[in-house]
Amino acid sequence: MKKAGDSRASDGAVTELWLLHLADSALPIGAFAHSFGVETLIAAELLDVGDLEKFLRAWLEESGVVEAVFCRTAFRIAQSTEFPVREWIAINDRFSAMKPARESRKASTLLGTNFLRSALAVCDLRRLTRTASFQDDLPVHHACAFGLVCGALNLDEDGAARAYLHQSLGGLISACQRLMPLGQTRAQQILWNLKPSMVEAAQSSSEATTDDVSGFLPMLDWGSMEHPELLTRLFIS
Amino acid sequence: MLLLCTPPEGEIGETIEPGPHRMRASLQLAFARDNALGETTLTFSHQEPPLRVLRAFHPEKNAALAHLLNVSGGLFGGDDLTLKVHVGKGAQAQLTTTGATRVYRCGLHNAPTRQHNEFTVAESAVLEYVPDAIIPFAGANFYQRTDVRLSDNAGLFWWEILAPGREASDEVFAFERVEMHSQILAYDELISIDRIRLEPGKKPLAVPGRMGRYRYSGTFYICKVGADPQIWLDLERQLRATISDLQALDETLWGFSTLKAHGLIIRCLAKQGRDVIAGLHGLWDAGKFALYGHHAVRPRKMH
Repeated sequence: MKKAGDSRASDGAVTELWLLHLADSALPIGAFAHSFGVETLIAAELLDVGDLEKFLRAWLEESGVVEAVFCRTAFRIAQSTEFPVREWIAINDRFSAMKPARESRKASTLLGTNFLRSALAVCDLRRLTRTASFQDDLPVHHACAFGLVCGALNLDEDGAARAYLHQSLGGLISACQRLMPLGQTRAQQILWNLKPSMVEAAQSSSEATTDDVSGFLPMLDWGSMEHPELLTRLFIS
Repeated sequence: MLLLCTPPEGEIGETIEPGPHRMRASLQLAFARDNALGETTLTFSHQEPPLRVLRAFHPEKNAALAHLLNVSGGLFGGDDLTLKVHVGKGAQAQLTTTGATRVYRCGLHNAPTRQHNEFTVAESAVLEYVPDAIIPFAGANFYQRTDVRLSDNAGLFWWEILAPGREASDEVFAFERVEMHSQILAYDELISIDRIRLEPGKKPLAVPGRMGRYRYSGTFYICKVGADPQIWLDLERQLRATISDLQALDETLWGFSTLKAHGLIIRCLAKQGRDVIAGLHGLWDAGKFALYGHHAVRPRKMH
């Protein structure tokens, strides 16, 4: 049993709080302004409250696993002795090629850039910055930025993948609350119910690589592709 | 003569040993432009049964059309088939199938059915690969990998259509697994990666986000390497208008987006296969006219 005041226990407690902080929806990166195509599905009456949990479970099984794979890969990149710049650029390029809808692709890099900028300003990331500089003109996806920062802070990789999925799903549910008659209690119940699916998705992501991971959400792709055509939009994506 | 890549192995995470139930075959084609005649000709073909290519027709000036044929009538469990096509500098090749690709049930002792496609399109060449739908029967276990390499100013019109199964026999999403990996490179850089794995027994398809109320899915790529990026935004708007004149939202969903560079991707979900085909033909024609100044010429079987 670790005692209060034990330095290692204290260090562990602090790193837990770092992870909570980085995955907090209150982190000002603009995530609240994106629905990643969900707004279009709801507008077209292809998604309602009754189907929401099924939809989000499918999201975790497909996009969630893909995002978590990239998060983990970036985590491992951050742990390299010399920062592998080419590898970093390559995984972000690859992720861009895997995102068919322009709006979601841009949203992901916008959030990633904001996240990285915020983390560089707030956290001690000397592990990264002593061998590399991070410029805003390189597209950095949110999952990659999140994994990179967690890796640089030497947090737990599995925990980082789970936290990333949790905050992503929380963001989608929050968007749904503003788009459909979804009350606070029901929203929290869905987020609670899906925690085992988040754990499964995070586990699945540990068994895949950026070269072999697959995802199939063509209806959500459609939603994101056609989002710019909506006459009334609450969200940027 | 051919710019061929080494077929990757172990893509689906399992070692597949040659066995009595496997059919390994390849079909290799090369098209070249004859500058003297101003025509595209099929200059090389290597055909291993059951894969065949019917002779090249000339549906339009400068272009050659070839029909791809599998004389065994479909793909069986354990089949491992490879298609490699090279379209030489300035040539224009159109490839289609003679009918839908039927993927039969994969027996217990058979490896998955594998199809590997490689297309290289040289400078200023054009490839139009417009196959019929893939129909995975109940119990089918199908893996397809497609690699497209585009050189400077190379053009591509390529679609894939996935049917839910034999609907007339009440086989809807009754296949075991369909896995399709596609990637397009321009100037040796990845511009699109699409990797899907459908396992309806494990992950239901008829849920929002995946297929919802729709049964057919299609993906259409239109690329021209080096074109002004603004062209793709303009073409996206134009094609969206084209399809909205043709089809109702309740029956089909058509999504349009620029790729990260050099092209467009179009996603389609539909209740009826005929709507996918009709829409793709309309978009193909409009895209061809916008990029090349003349209409798409449909393969003769479609007339």
